[in-house]
Amino acid sequence: MSFRVLVIPEDPTLNGYILKPLTKAIVAAAGKPAAKVTVLTNPRLRGYDQAVRAIRTNLAERYRHMDLWLFFPDADKAKDDTTRSLEEKRAVQGTGLLCCPAQPEVEIYACAAFRNDIPERWEDVRAHKHGDPRRAGGGRDRMVEATLQNLPLLFQLCPELQDLRDRIAERLQEY
Amino acid sequence: MTRENLHVRKKLYDSGEVSQSGPTLDVRYYKQQRGRPPRLKFESSRPVLTQFAAGGAKGPEDGHANLAYEVSQALANMQGLDPLPGILRDYSQALSIQRMGERGENFAALVKTICQNKSTKDAYLSWLGLLRPEEIDDVGTLDGALGEPMFMLQEGGHRFPAPVLSDGTLRFAALAAAFFQPDRPHLLTIEEVENGIHASRLQLLLELLRSQAKATRTQVVATTHSATVLDWLQEEEYQTTFFCQRDEATGKSRIRALAKVPHFHAAAQKTPVSELFAEGWLETTA
Repeated sequence: MSFRVLVIPEDPTLNGYILKPLTKAIVAAAGKPAAKVTVLTNPRLRGYDQAVRAIRTNLAERYRHMDLWLFFPDADKAKDDTTRSLEEKRAVQGTGLLCCPAQPEVEIYACAAFRNDIPERWEDVRAHKHGDPRRAGGGRDRMVEATLQNLPLLFQLCPELQDLRDRIAERLQEY
Repeated sequence: MTRENLHVRKKLYDSGEVSQSGPTLDVRYYKQQRGRPPRLKFESSRPVLTQFAAGGAKGPEDGHANLAYEVSQALANMQGLDPLPGILRDYSQALSIQRMGERGENFAALVKTICQNKSTKDAYLSWLGLLRPEEIDDVGTLDGALGEPMFMLQEGGHRFPAPVLSDGTLRFAALAAAFFQPDRPHLLTIEEVENGIHASRLQLLLELLRSQAKATRTQVVATTHSATVLDWLQEEEYQTTFFCQRDEATGKSRIRALAKVPHFHAAAQKTPVSELFAEGWLETTA
């Protein structure tokens, strides 16, 4: 049976285009190349507070069968003690949860491949025509695809992702 | 027609309740000046909008007539799309077109036109690629004996012509193609937008409508009976999502924005909108 990963974004609408391929790549780098990655869409989360509430309360009933949950909040809201407490609480209840606050937000991961010719924010990236408003996800899919061409560089630019890969690898040894 | 009024940032005219008894119609003209708005006479057999747009010595001021003209032009460039899978599966009669028919006539010819430009084709394919769990490698057309095109998708190197594709896949492909038409309408209306489309892809459908309406500056008006569609609305869209209900006493339709339904916001904070819709809660607020 394949390794099943649940990705919990703050908002699935656009972050999903980035987090799904990114998570596949990171979990593959951690040792599970054929993992099945699902981005949570129900309940539809709208922001950090709703996501934390869902993790604490009703997600376990529906997604207890997943092997690993990954929560990607924006770093500006995610407090270390909150994410640690979420991980500990879920561990007690038998669900493996890892939190990876994105610095400063998930869309930065799609921008990594374009760091040399643009400022770092998504709106600036769009202005530089790396995105495409006519594509699904406004072109985020293509940008993250370009970013994932060089995963070691992404780990260097975004160390929290390297840390996430190492933590997943540790979990896999216990799995 | 029961009533006709025009707002362009401010109210321009209002016919009031239309009675069918006389040949003329008295319409209040709001000139944005102090005092009681004057009444203008129009023929009751034709829309006020086009008569108002024509202006004239005893008619509205030129600036207001021009606004009405622009609105009439926008409405004239309307496409009422209700693609039928049976038509979408068929060969197109045309070889290449700029706009498909309202039931999806010449859909394959439109796709052929779309695929002639690589970046347009890639953008179109990016939507189709999210529709099916299998990897879609390519989109295009197959040629009949006389070169007439038929829609096809390619997965894992295998070509799947339109006749073997599901109704939902074809309808989604046609709705997405509407935004890539070289001759796009100002106003796109779509009847029962969810028809045939898998429930897990309704989020994608809404995102297609939302993002492409913005990207192509096409106004989209869609109807739905799907509770699931409502759950994928963004909160600001409650202003432009209308609930239609028949008034039991008068038999008339009553249309209200969700944002204006009493207690809606409070209820939607605690209960999914799909449940409020499905259980008939919205009707109870009338």
